Amino acid sequence: MRNIKTHKVEQLIIAAVAFFWCFLMWFATAAFSPSIAQKFNLTIAQMGILASSALWSAPILRPVAGYLADKIGAPYAFAIILVTTGLMSIASSYATDYKTLFIERAIVAAAGISFVVGIQHVAQWFEEEEMGAAEGLYAGTGNVGAGTGALLLPRIYGTDYSTAFLHLGIVALIIAAWMLLRGVPAKSAERAEMAKKTATIRDTAFVWTRFAAIALMFAYAMCFGLEIGMNAWLPGYYARGFADAIKDLGFETIKDVQIAAGTFAAVQSFNASLFRPFSGYMSDLWQRKGWMPFPIISKALPYSPRVHWLMFALLSITTTMILLTIAGLSNNVVLSVLILAVFGVTVAFGTGGTFAIVPLMFKERPGTATGFIGGISCTGGVIYPLIFGFSSNIHMGYAYVAIFMFIPMMIFYAWAMHWDIHPEDHGIGTKEFWLGEYTEASKD
Amino acid sequence: MGGGSIGKRGDIQYEPWYKWGVLFLYIEMLIAIGVSIYSLYMAFTGRGGFPGKH
Repeated sequence: MRNIKTHKVEQLIIAAVAFFWCFLMWFATAAFSPSIAQKFNLTIAQMGILASSALWSAPILRPVAGYLADKIGAPYAFAIILVTTGLMSIASSYATDYKTLFIERAIVAAAGISFVVGIQHVAQWFEEEEMGAAEGLYAGTGNVGAGTGALLLPRIYGTDYSTAFLHLGIVALIIAAWMLLRGVPAKSAERAEMAKKTATIRDTAFVWTRFAAIALMFAYAMCFGLEIGMNAWLPGYYARGFADAIKDLGFETIKDVQIAAGTFAAVQSFNASLFRPFSGYMSDLWQRKGWMPFPIISKALPYSPRVHWLMFALLSITTTMILLTIAGLSNNVVLSVLILAVFGVTVAFGTGGTFAIVPLMFKERPGTATGFIGGISCTGGVIYPLIFGFSSNIHMGYAYVAIFMFIPMMIFYAWAMHWDIHPEDHGIGTKEFWLGEYTEASKD
Repeated sequence: MGGGSIGKRGDIQYEPWYKWGVLFLYIEMLIAIGVSIYSLYMAFTGRGGFPGKH
């Protein structure tokens, strides 16, 4: 390992800044979509495809990024992502036809996969008792990149998205250089070596078939998957579901209604990002206080209170989803938006709570586990809006998802966490089956 | 199932960075609350909202 004098807080800052910038690049296309649509005369369907293309690469490439972080070290994995997406962002600023721009921006959107790299990096540097706050600070601060982009980019650059993409790419290259200069893969050579040793196809298959990993993936789909799905769904929901109520507020034209509906949606997004570190802190607090209120879930694991905190978060998300339906059916936009603000906070409870557990439960395979849990769960971002959209009543979708998807997921989560010893070892196929003969890396 | 060690685990000593981290996360939370209140006030009074102006 490189012999650089550093501190874990420096590593946390580097990772958070890199992730923040990656998130900024990830959603920069969306921030300029009206200008792009106008320049290339895009139809509504084309705009929808452009918006959804931001999510295409996440489920596939996040697991790869996690594997790479374990294998070569997070700073190098970060640098690869930043350089690739940064150069592509620069190239997209010179695109003259829509097809080229679309392909280049879809590649830039892959910057979002960096999330799992940073989670792995922080896990390699921080201690168990501070993991919640450390991961929360990393992920929460980084996530704000999306909201910051929506808020600031159009104000700084107006409709000149080309210059914005150019500048975003150049800064990405600078951060990549900083990462290579100051980034150190782990606190100790042993930690880095352990992660490297377990970055194999066999270990990946082992993690992907563990009940606990699947349960945490469901948990993350219930929060982050839902968050990104709601980002796409909510503006349209408020514009259609509360059209008259929004008009009564004084928003007459389509543009004005979009602003009002976008505001309601942004509140959810902002709370979901900025409360995430608080959730990590709450996970630390539950751990310190030993709070374990739920039956079935193990109370004997070294990190059991964190597992109970996440259960509390999942229950809160499910409850607020049902309340959103009730507010919608009562046609009360104020009540709906207030519940939505609380909903954003509960989503943050889930996201922060999940990744306060993952690095502790999958200590030997942090990148692989994070890649699976943080990657596959993103499919929720595609599935939920479809369910909402195909519901007979526009307000009922939240309750359908809560009752028919979230409750079974929570039952599975509670069951998967009931083992008092190494719940992460239980799954489809035994440890020996997947990992073969006993190795140092796979020892209990 | 679930019958193990219950109770406080309050003997944890955090490193000095931790209190600054907690302060930072409280600031982030206050920003979220502030942005929410401002944006919703603008929207509910028909004056505009996030991310654009009315």
